[in-house]
Formats: sequence, C-alpha cells, structure tokens
Amino acid sequence: MQVIYQEGESLLHRLNPLSKVVAVVPVLLFVALTTDPWLPLAFIALASAVIVGPARITPGTFWRLQAPLTISLLVFMILYPFMVRAELFDRTPVVLRLGPLVLYQGAVLAGMAAVLRVYAMFLLSLIFMLTTDISDFIRAMVQQWRFPYRLGYGILAAFHFMPLLQEEFRLIQAAHRIRGIETHSGVRVHIERLRRYAIPLLTSAIRRAERTALAMESRAFGALKQRSYFRRFCFSRADYLFILCFWLLCLLVIALFWRYGWMGPLSFTKEL
Amino acid sequence: MSETRTTLIEIEDLTVKYPGRRMSALEHLQLQLRAGETVLLLGPSGSGKSTLALTLNGLIPHSIGKLQSGHVRVAGLDTRQTTVATLAQRVGILFQDPEAQFVMFTVEDEIAFGLENLCFSPDEMERRISDSLRLVGLTELRYRRVEQLSGGEKQRVALAALLALEPEILVFDEPTANLDPQGTREVFDLLRRCKETGRYTIVLIEHRLDELMDLVERMVVLGKRGEVVIDGRPREVLRAHLSTLQGLGVWVPQVARLAHVLQQHGWSLEPFPLTLSEAAEALKGRRAFRAGHQDSSAPLTSTAVHNDGQQRCSASPPTRSEPDQGEAAIEVCSLSYRAAGRQVLQDISLAIPRGALLALVGANGAGKTTLAQHLIGVLQPPRGCVRLLGRDITTISARELTRHVGYVFQNPEHQFITEAVEDEVAYGLRVMGPPATEVQERTRALLERFNLLSLARANPFTLSHGEKRRLSVATMLAMGQEILILDEPTFGQDEYNATALLELLWQLHSEGRTIVVITHDMSLVATYAQYVAVMNHGRLLFYGTPAALFTHAELLAEARLMLPPLAQLARRLGWSDLLTLEELCERCLQDSARELAEPLAAADGAASVEGGRPCK
Repeated sequence: MQVIYQEGESLLHRLNPLSKVVAVVPVLLFVALTTDPWLPLAFIALASAVIVGPARITPGTFWRLQAPLTISLLVFMILYPFMVRAELFDRTPVVLRLGPLVLYQGAVLAGMAAVLRVYAMFLLSLIFMLTTDISDFIRAMVQQWRFPYRLGYGILAAFHFMPLLQEEFRLIQAAHRIRGIETHSGVRVHIERLRRYAIPLLTSAIRRAERTALAMESRAFGALKQRSYFRRFCFSRADYLFILCFWLLCLLVIALFWRYGWMGPLSFTKEL
Repeated sequence: MSETRTTLIEIEDLTVKYPGRRMSALEHLQLQLRAGETVLLLGPSGSGKSTLALTLNGLIPHSIGKLQSGHVRVAGLDTRQTTVATLAQRVGILFQDPEAQFVMFTVEDEIAFGLENLCFSPDEMERRISDSLRLVGLTELRYRRVEQLSGGEKQRVALAALLALEPEILVFDEPTANLDPQGTREVFDLLRRCKETGRYTIVLIEHRLDELMDLVERMVVLGKRGEVVIDGRPREVLRAHLSTLQGLGVWVPQVARLAHVLQQHGWSLEPFPLTLSEAAEALKGRRAFRAGHQDSSAPLTSTAVHNDGQQRCSASPPTRSEPDQGEAAIEVCSLSYRAAGRQVLQDISLAIPRGALLALVGANGAGKTTLAQHLIGVLQPPRGCVRLLGRDITTISARELTRHVGYVFQNPEHQFITEAVEDEVAYGLRVMGPPATEVQERTRALLERFNLLSLARANPFTLSHGEKRRLSVATMLAMGQEILILDEPTFGQDEYNATALLELLWQLHSEGRTIVVITHDMSLVATYAQYVAVMNHGRLLFYGTPAALFTHAELLAEARLMLPPLAQLARRLGWSDLLTLEELCERCLQDSARELAEPLAAADGAASVEGGRPCK
C-alpha cells in the first residue's frame, strides 16, 4: 500500500483513513454482487472522477498506476469467451465464427462483466490506497477500532523492511551472478537458485528484525498495557459528511440504474 | 573532580549468556560508572560491548539473554527488578544501523513513538518533541519523512527520539559505523553538544577516535572473554597499554600510535598526546626544545624506522605521478547513468592502470557503487563506455567477466552459495572445469594463504566477521582474477582484522593485480592507495594521488570529505606533503637527526633514512 500511496494535501488525503474505508467498503461489496457490465462501468466513472477530482491525483499518475491491471484485464477479457464452457452460452446469438472457434454474445458479455467488475472494485479501493498513508491507517485502526497495538506497530516496522529486503534481494542476485553461477534456465535450476538466495536473505532479515526489535523495546515499546497518542485519530464532521455524500452518490447511481432497468440481476438473484 | 561524583551505574560480577551459545558474552564483569562521566568502551569484535549496553537498559535480561550471575544497578535500581519502561527513561541507546531503528514514517511520529509507549500526555509530548528537535538541530525537518533524510540526519532523529525520553545515561553503540564522513561529523558534533549540556553520563562505543578523545574522561577496555582488562584515564591507558590494546585488535587514536612509535625511538612527548592539537603542541614544543639544546636520544637507524614502517616499504611500487601512464586495466569513457529520474553518474571518464591500487571515495549517494557495478556487468554500460583489459565490456560474456574481475560486496554473506568454506572457494574453479586434483590443490593453497584452512569444512555463515570477509576475498581470487573491486572492505571490522585484510590487499597489489577499493576511510586512502578518485553527485571530482588530493582543501570540502587525522596533524606542523604515520614518524626523526648530524658532519643514520622512500 505504501508503494502506491501518493503524498498530497487534498480533501481526501486529509480525511480520517477509516472514514474512507467505511465509505468505500459497502459500495465495493455491492459492486462485487453485480453481474451485468453496465453498473460497474458507472462506478468506474465515479471512482475515476473522485480520484482525479477531490483526491487531486493527476490523470497521468492515475493512468500509470492503473495501467498494468488494465492491460492484464483486457487480455483476460479477450480470452474469456474462448475459454469458457460453450454450453453455458450456446443459446445466445453467435457473434463470430473462426473455424472451430465460436464466439457467443453471452460469453462476450459475461467476460466484460467480470472484467469491469474487478476493475471497478480496484478503482474504488484506489480511492483509499492512493490517498492514505499506511501508518495513518494502522494507527487509526489501533486507536479507533481497538486493533492490538503491538501487532499494529509490528506491521508498521515491517513496512520499513520491504524496500530494504527488496534492495537486499537485488544485491544477492548480483552477488551470485558475479560468482559465475550458471545462467541457463529450467525449473530445477530456478528452485535451486531461490534456495540459495533464501539463506542470505533470511539471515539478514532476521538480523535486521532483531535490531529493530531491540531498538523498539529500548524505547519502552510493549512495556505498558496502554499507550497514549500524540496525534488523535477521530471522525470529524468532514469525515461524516464525506461518508454521507459518497453513499448518497452511489445510491443515486444504483437507483437510476434500477429505475431504468440497466442494473441486471445481482449474483444471488440470478438464476443459472 | 570525578572522585566527588556519585556512582550512577554499578555492575558487579556480571556474567551474561545468550541462549544457544556455549560461551558467555560477558564474564565476571566489574564496573562502576559515575554520574556525568564520559566513558569510552573499547574491545575487539565479539567482546561484548553491545551486550554490556543492553544490560544497562534492562533489555538483558528482560527481552533477551540471561544474567548468569551478578547484578546491574542503574541509579540504585536493580535492572532485574525494574521494568524496561522505567529503565528506558534512564538509559537511551543509539544503535549502529539508522534504518533498523525506525518504526514510524515521519520525524515527528518517530520521536513521539517512545513517549506514546510511556503514556505521556499530548501536551508533554509536544514540549519534549520540540525540545529534543531543537537540541539535535532538526526543528525544520519535523514533518519530513524519515526515508528522505541522509544517514547523519537519521542518526540525529534517532538520538532526538532517545533524548525526548530525558534519560540521564546515553549509550552510543557505534553510531557512525554506517555513515559517510559528513554524517560522522554531524553525529560527533551532536555528541559534543550532549556532553556540553552536562546532563548526561555518556558511554561511547566507537572506533573513529581521533576526533573524540578530548571528550573522553575514562577508557574501559574489554577483553576477548568479555571481562574488563584495562580501566583508567585515557592518557595513562594509552601511554602505558597501547601495545596491549593493539594486541587485542582494538582501534586506538592514530595520534597515540604516532606518539608510541616516536617513544620507541626515545622521543617521549609530554604530555602524552590524545588529540591532534595536543600532538601538534607537543611536537612543536619538542622541536623548539631540540633547537635550543641539541641533546640526543636513542640512536637512529633506518631499520628502526622500517620496523614500524612495516614491510610494505620493500614492496613499494615505482611511484608514478600521473594515473594515465601505462596500460589501462579499466577504462571508463564518458559514462552516464540515470535511474529513477536521477542522474546517478554523469560523464565519468577515468583510466585505471594495470596493477594500480585505487581508492574510490565520496559521500553516500555520490555514485561510487553504481560506477563499480558498471565494471562487473551488474549494470550494463552502453557500448564503448567501459573497456576492461583493452576490451569493450559489452563484448565480454558474463561468464568470462567473472574470470577477470572479482567483486567483494559490502556484506560478504551475500556472496556465499555453498555450505562449506572449501566448496565456496572451489566453486568458481569447478565452473572453469579443470581436473579435480587441480581444483583441490588450488583451493587448499588459497585457504592456506587466507588462513582459513582449519575452517575448510565449516559453513560460511558460521564464520566470524573477519573470517567471512577473508573468505569472500578468497572466493573472488579463485579463478585468478586480475582485477579486484571491494566495497567498504573494512566496514564493521576491528583494527586487527581490518589491518590484516589491508595487508593482504597490499600483497595482491604487489603481485600486480589491479585493486579498486570503495571506502569512507581516509586513513586507508592515505596509507594504502596509490591513486584516489573522488566522486560527488555522480561526477568525478578528482583523480590523482592521495598526496595531491589532500592539498586541495576546497575540493575535499566540496566532496564532503575530511583529511585523515595524521595528515591534519602534519598540516598543523607545516608538513603538508605528509600523509601517513610512517612518513610523519620519519620526518620527526629526520629533523632531529639532522640537528644531531649538523655538528657531527657525518651521519649514517640520516643518510639512510633519506634513502628510504615514504612507505606506502
């Protein structure tokens, strides 16, 4: 999460991390239940608008961050109609015939729906991820939702580790290459190689973890049952307002789609 | 005055053991520290210095380790019966690795972390955070993210986080080991400021001593088994026990080493110098005295100089003044490199002659390692930018490259790929495919040379730090590599191991191998390097001999480097061309010999001393 967090001062950045979770998660769950492509499409538009609007993420950055997922989803969307069991959709019209391959309209729509649903969910979670510092999120959870603080701060320390371990992995890789290790590929060679990386990586990770633990305990971490907080996390009026507005907006979209019959069945009402 | 101070820390008959280890880390340790004292704690690696630090704030025995016997009392509190929460407000420990100390992501949060653990009120926290930031001089960085700070700043933040708990005892456990010269200076300045406040009892574990000795009031030396071997005032300790200290393999101030060598030639300096200024005073006074009296001391011969000037002199290569003479082992031609939107290398050109020993220096982030990585194919230079032994590096296959160039990483563990020391050395040989008997022979020879034969069957990861380093060098020479690149080879080593390794490098250099050492240690540069390349912000700032570099004060300042202590001393004495202990010693003796010789008109000693070229 820290990896794609974009520092900023926007309206969304200043909100309590948990209010964003409260606002987004129900909508996310609802989108997960849709089966038609149209409603997810609307939420894609809505989430994108929030990200480049009130969250002040530049369209360029936004595009760059979501591009890898978009590409893999597109690939999936193209392959899906060919891979899916044909008897599920053979009652729908045929769109295309390529020799033995038959493309049914139902299969295309189902593939699109699946992809758009995942994409919409991804964008909705981006609203949270792009604007929330992981340390704020964990601290807010510890303070407001009684998440155990020893665990929470342990996770925070682990986040410091990630880039260091990545760097370490890169170094070990280079070091081994310089030793003149066979460069040819193959599953066995690959597994052997990973095993060799694991030992130095683990020793240095353990050493580092030990040092961090000592440094934390030297500052009385975990010494008392309670902890006080310099920065209090709580819901302000802006947070409630944001949750309310976001929900209302989403409800409005859903209501419109329902009213005009574009919503399609939800997964639990749909009969197979 | 220290006699009137009250005892703050009382350690009696302390024996500490870590679970799973046979040997105890500290043995029957007896020590009393008085309030307000500044104590330098020395000892070879593995002697339990850090362990001792952890017993002071109760992490031993509360979190790790076991007190087998004895007890520790801090301000009258027995650490066994006192919680870590209480002790954390008495004792703050600044650790070596700035990265490993951080929990939070911004400076302010990091400082608040300890205070929050102890349930301080937000108002009190606010006061303490701004106070401690002011003390370490980082008020303007309060809202910065810690990963954006330099190494020195990180250590200052870590110290601010300790100071916020308002401890009376500060332990500095090698706080500059991971820092470049600039960062080291920042930390030392801060240490000085802490001392000046008079609020703290300071326990210092450090090996760069020359800039600190004026702060130290007492020296405590731990032996190999973790017992107190020497305890006393620095002047007496260094005067009387310097050879014991060197025998233990601990770092000592270079000024003291010089004074000691001079002492062996009958030059006793009064008072025994601890700092550069004292040494400069003493030597100046000595000269004035000499000029007045013309008295003589021990007879001077060139062999006497060479005993201390070390055997390296005999292997001294013909001195070249220009680095670009002779055939180049490595040739870099306007190499630039960008990564993550930053210009890491900018138009670097240099030619390293065959058989040279080159030191690559510069602040952290100057591009030293990046440059080195271009020489071994970890990073791919564009065609025509890097030539190795006369061939473009892009035309050499990775396999072949490893046969010509060895690279020793900062952490030797990274390079270990087998489960036994001998396999480690043999690995590279086997890849080349000579007969098994030859592999065996060459492996044995290498292990013998690197003093690792007795450990041939051991797992590389179980070796000591010095042994690991030696092994990693040995593996890099197994294939008869002509070029050897080392990244911070003396990092984290005690004096004994560091010197042993450098002597080894010097030997390899004398055999005609080309050696490139990336380092922050300017004394190493002065003593061993034939050439030095200075990098700053991705540019090559200087390339030439160390002697030439050290005359460029403004260049050193720009690259955020410092003169090694003895070169500084030589400057103060007006000998700006001298760099090393041997040279300084020789000049001192030469001066006095000349004064002796003048009236006698015939001087064997002086003549032979002049014959001996400065030892590299």
